[in-house]
Amino acid sequence: MMGLLRKIFLADLFQGLRVTFRTQNPKNIVTEQYPAERPKVAERYRGAPRLNINPENGQTLCIACDLCALACPETLIVVGWERNPETKRKDLVTFTYDTSRCMFCGLCEDACPVDALELTQDFELASYSREGAIFDRQTLEEGIKPTKYRF
Amino acid sequence: MPDDPKPEGAPEPESAPPSEPATPEPKPAEAAKPAAPAPEAKPPAAPAPPKPAAAAAAKPAPAAAAKPPVPKAPAVMAVTPWESDLTKALAEEFGAAISEFSSYVGQSFLVVKADSAIPVIESLKFNHGFDYLVDVTAVHYPERPEPLDVIYILYSFSRNERIRVKIRIKDGDRPRTVTKVHTTADWLEREVYDMFGIEFEGHPNMKRILLPDEWSTFPLRKENSILNMDQRWVQENLGIESGQ
Amino acid sequence: MTMAGTFLDSTELVLNMGPQHPSTHGVLRVILKLDGERVLGTECVIGYLHRGVEKIAENRTYAMFAPYVDRMDYVAAVSNGLGYCLAVEKLLNAEATPRAQAVRVILTELNRIGSHLLWLGTHALDIGAITPLFYCMREREYTLNIFEKYCGARLTTHAFRIGGLQYETYDGFEKDVLEFCDMFLPKVDEYEELLTGNRIWIERLTNVGILNAADCKDYGVTGPMLRAAGVKWDIRKALPYSGYEKYDFEIPTRENGDTYDRYIVRMQEMRQSVRILRQAVADIPAGPIMAKVPKVIKPPVGEAYVSIEAPKGELGYYIVSDGSTQPWRVRVRPPSFVNLQALDKMARGALVADVVAIIGTTDIVLGEVDR
Repeated sequence: MMGLLRKIFLADLFQGLRVTFRTQNPKNIVTEQYPAERPKVAERYRGAPRLNINPENGQTLCIACDLCALACPETLIVVGWERNPETKRKDLVTFTYDTSRCMFCGLCEDACPVDALELTQDFELASYSREGAIFDRQTLEEGIKPTKYRF
Repeated sequence: MPDDPKPEGAPEPESAPPSEPATPEPKPAEAAKPAAPAPEAKPPAAPAPPKPAAAAAAKPAPAAAAKPPVPKAPAVMAVTPWESDLTKALAEEFGAAISEFSSYVGQSFLVVKADSAIPVIESLKFNHGFDYLVDVTAVHYPERPEPLDVIYILYSFSRNERIRVKIRIKDGDRPRTVTKVHTTADWLEREVYDMFGIEFEGHPNMKRILLPDEWSTFPLRKENSILNMDQRWVQENLGIESGQ
Repeated sequence: MTMAGTFLDSTELVLNMGPQHPSTHGVLRVILKLDGERVLGTECVIGYLHRGVEKIAENRTYAMFAPYVDRMDYVAAVSNGLGYCLAVEKLLNAEATPRAQAVRVILTELNRIGSHLLWLGTHALDIGAITPLFYCMREREYTLNIFEKYCGARLTTHAFRIGGLQYETYDGFEKDVLEFCDMFLPKVDEYEELLTGNRIWIERLTNVGILNAADCKDYGVTGPMLRAAGVKWDIRKALPYSGYEKYDFEIPTRENGDTYDRYIVRMQEMRQSVRILRQAVADIPAGPIMAKVPKVIKPPVGEAYVSIEAPKGELGYYIVSDGSTQPWRVRVRPPSFVNLQALDKMARGALVADVVAIIGTTDIVLGEVDR
């Protein structure tokens, strides 16, 4: 009997509609208006790579130990270095990071002994060409510069 | 872009990926890999490496990183014998057809002659309650006289026990299909064929499953390197120079 | 006039569904043989997403391969990572520290909820109910935010390392998870309000795609599909791993093994996951997060098969080590691949519209089917 009444008065339909209307309140909106409204990414977010610079003397922190290149599963990091005849140390010359193949696993970051290589919170990695996705040392040190749009 | 080899001067040679096309001369990275890894309890018959003393229950040899050209001791799996009511019953039923009952890290397996695999699995299902075939897979050991292992992983709901049944076969051998005992083996055996080229006798639909039908290689065989798969297929069907 | 002899009694129709079809959840191609609306047989064509993960594994070190497993079942990447790490730890004869195990359990259960939510949303969408998708995505976002805060990635997390964890939990991790638990249980009631009693939902799902317990075992079907057929079997209980034996939870089961029962089982599993989450968060042991494993991972020669209860079923890793830094063979036993095989059995005799429901209820991820 109860079941029949529920059937006649479409109880299940109105039950569902109640849920729908409960969420109509504008304060329940969770959609982000992305380009206008910047999402706040987490502190540990693994985004665009960056080569850190010592803020005191403006020199790179990288010691060209090649550990990141060895840790990388995709072998997309190439470290170019030369031996400094005075200090007998390796000096970083070039650093290439191919983000088009990168899966942002964070293994390079973990491997770095001096915290020079870091995956940052920048997430806008799109570029107009495949070459644009290959970061050289300059891009890595200065950071990516995504186009800013005004709304 | 290829998975190019590591830059020169890598501190740890053994961690360099040997992802280069197979070339005749032995590379350090390849030499670091031992020959046939697990011919359990039997020393490998193929080129005897220079330290046969450690054959029986050798712990893994120390890293050969310092001297790459020296091959490692013939490391074998340190198995322990596996004895239970089940092994007794099976040994009684099949006798010499089951050549080994072993367990490793607490996981039991038995090695069966290729032609008695199906009766053993059947008996395990109907007499001992192993009614769930978890997986069928294969492993390729190119250095061994019987280079392919086919592995059936079985589970019993009633006993809450998981075992593996292994058979060793030669290239070109056609083991009998297990689909008549466990229907789930249909796709699993097709995948084994797809990846290793092992054809199962009596399988209802023995064709490739993951790769395209016209593909020419069996990718998980060790002679196929990761870089040289089927370039011709890629060029004809995808219109690009290389799949890498 | 009888139908015999007319053109209506003509041959069967072969219909190609997919690979570009919104309800095949990816690039699955199903060839259907039809007699009118009735399905006479199906054949799945898979492999469109094949990336050769198992071959890649043979060419990477153990640590390097860990990010790749996330890309198989990308909806439940954490579970994949857990299974792989457990398998390598088994080969190394190591075990993660208690703290690492507890955090692993929390993240995997969150991931299970996320996976079930995505399943529920898309499954309902396939049947024609659009509303649940939005709500499911909204709640799934909370789990993804916790992953992002914890390890820095949302989908392909690479959260676990062999031997434990790479990252210590962040400040407020426990609070976030507890908040999620409090928020989430009423939401499950909300979904049930939308669907469980809904007449269209019931009519579309009951007695569709029945797979009984014997067939499930024969086809190797695991996970919620097996439990919906009445088999009380969950690897978390049967062969506990990562400290699941410490937590008190139930295995929800149903009897019929049809699509509706699978829906109920998965809804209840989400509630049970919340129950595990509460227990695990309340008692995360202090201590190190990384067990003592060597820096360069070189398991001794041997082999191991370790499986976990992934959201979709039994996810197993069979790893053969030759004593070097690279695995000799990594075999992944994917639950989706094996479960999808039962599609033919379930779809025979059903209507074309039911095939969509059956594919949805199988809960496949093509990344895992094809690997």
